Amino acid sequence: MDDMKIIDVDVHNEQDDRALLPYLQEPWRSRVAASGIGYAGSGYYSPIGVMKKDSIPPGGGKAGSDPDYMIKQLIEGYNLDYAVLTGVVYNISSTHDPDYAAAICSAYNDYLIAEWLGKHKAFKGAMVVATQDPLLAAREIDRIGGHPDIVEVMISSAARSPLGQRYYHPIYEATERKGLPVAIHPGAEGGGSSTAPTAAGYPTRYIEWHTCLSQMFMAHLVSMVCEGVFVKYPSLKVVLVEGGVAWLPALMWRLDKNYKALRSTVPWLTRMPSEYIRDHCYLSTQPIEEPDNPQHLIDLFNMIDAENMLLYSSDYPHWDFDSPSHILRGLKPEARRKIFYENAKQLYRLD
Amino acid sequence: MGVYYVLSEEDIPEGGHAVVNIEGREIGIYRINGEYHAILNYCPHQGAPICAGLVSGTTLPSEVYDYEYGRAGEIVRCPWHGWEFDLQTGKSLFSDRIRVKKYKVEVHEGKVGVVMGRG
Repeated sequence: MDDMKIIDVDVHNEQDDRALLPYLQEPWRSRVAASGIGYAGSGYYSPIGVMKKDSIPPGGGKAGSDPDYMIKQLIEGYNLDYAVLTGVVYNISSTHDPDYAAAICSAYNDYLIAEWLGKHKAFKGAMVVATQDPLLAAREIDRIGGHPDIVEVMISSAARSPLGQRYYHPIYEATERKGLPVAIHPGAEGGGSSTAPTAAGYPTRYIEWHTCLSQMFMAHLVSMVCEGVFVKYPSLKVVLVEGGVAWLPALMWRLDKNYKALRSTVPWLTRMPSEYIRDHCYLSTQPIEEPDNPQHLIDLFNMIDAENMLLYSSDYPHWDFDSPSHILRGLKPEARRKIFYENAKQLYRLD
Repeated sequence: MGVYYVLSEEDIPEGGHAVVNIEGREIGIYRINGEYHAILNYCPHQGAPICAGLVSGTTLPSEVYDYEYGRAGEIVRCPWHGWEFDLQTGKSLFSDRIRVKKYKVEVHEGKVGVVMGRG
């Protein structure tokens, strides 16, 4: 462990809403100054809260809001080579006004570059775009995506419709043009103008909501494959962040089986659907499934060649943080090296 | 095996706790209803500093849609993933097999001692 190289692909830097004020244009600046950003959250309550309790900076403020403390606790504490800063602003995509959502994303991207990315050589950034207006999102990707420390484009899995649909294609076109992966992250499922957070509707409790987040990823992934996103954008890579891993084999088998009978409805797919997933998709590990027998998870990894599809993530500073020294210990060294470092290094073109 | 007298009784108020270092081990000593309970400051799940977790009561096993709150001050909740542990036994509330390491505590002439080693 000590000499293992690690890239953490999901680290949540946070900021007070007011930190974005210098980067906002009017009329949005006055709105945020008066009322805060005003996310449309899922509304589900957790007794644990969202934050890891020991991650509040000693000087106060939100967990994840002090770069120096993050460097000390996470980067140096776990000896990370790189951390992809994913923020929380992707959650703006469940709000109602596309222009406002786009303005918040632009302000955050400028803030991220100005106030975080230069603070440590390990910091790399996920720029965010809102999905309410994909054309505005594409314009933002063209504006920011060329920055040397921006390594991906983050969107929310809480959306108004499955993310493979043609409505969203301008985002993928711009992302591919910039040579960046697109990452999809949960958080606001069920809030604002997003769909219900599970296929069955609105569950009662956070435990149900959180468990069923994987459903959102299943639906988006099937949509992206079947809508031909990977045919139209052949060099596009997608990172499914924090959506779970263990559901993937069953989904691949079911989709491939259906393809054999229903290929004629998706004639642009010339290979088995699972092959597009293998070639284009990565999944982040956290929160990793933890069966009583750890070998069961390894068996499952072997079914889908997971060592080439997984990227280690901690989710720092959130409550379900996975420590790099405590998960996936049963894997072979080669698989660990790929999952904790090599896959992300290659995907994000890091040295 | 040995008893390490590391604190005086007045160092820990009722309902409070203190974290001490004994032979390189961080140990949390909790005072609950006048009794002391010592646990290793290390969650068996992913190694979190469990003594940074909130101490509270919790909902007891109950009928569907009944909520019976109890065990006030006897449950510590890991600050990372929220696992609940019974400070009296060290056991997690979801499995007898998952437990935080407990140490015996001896009180002698106002001094609080942690029993280390076997036992």
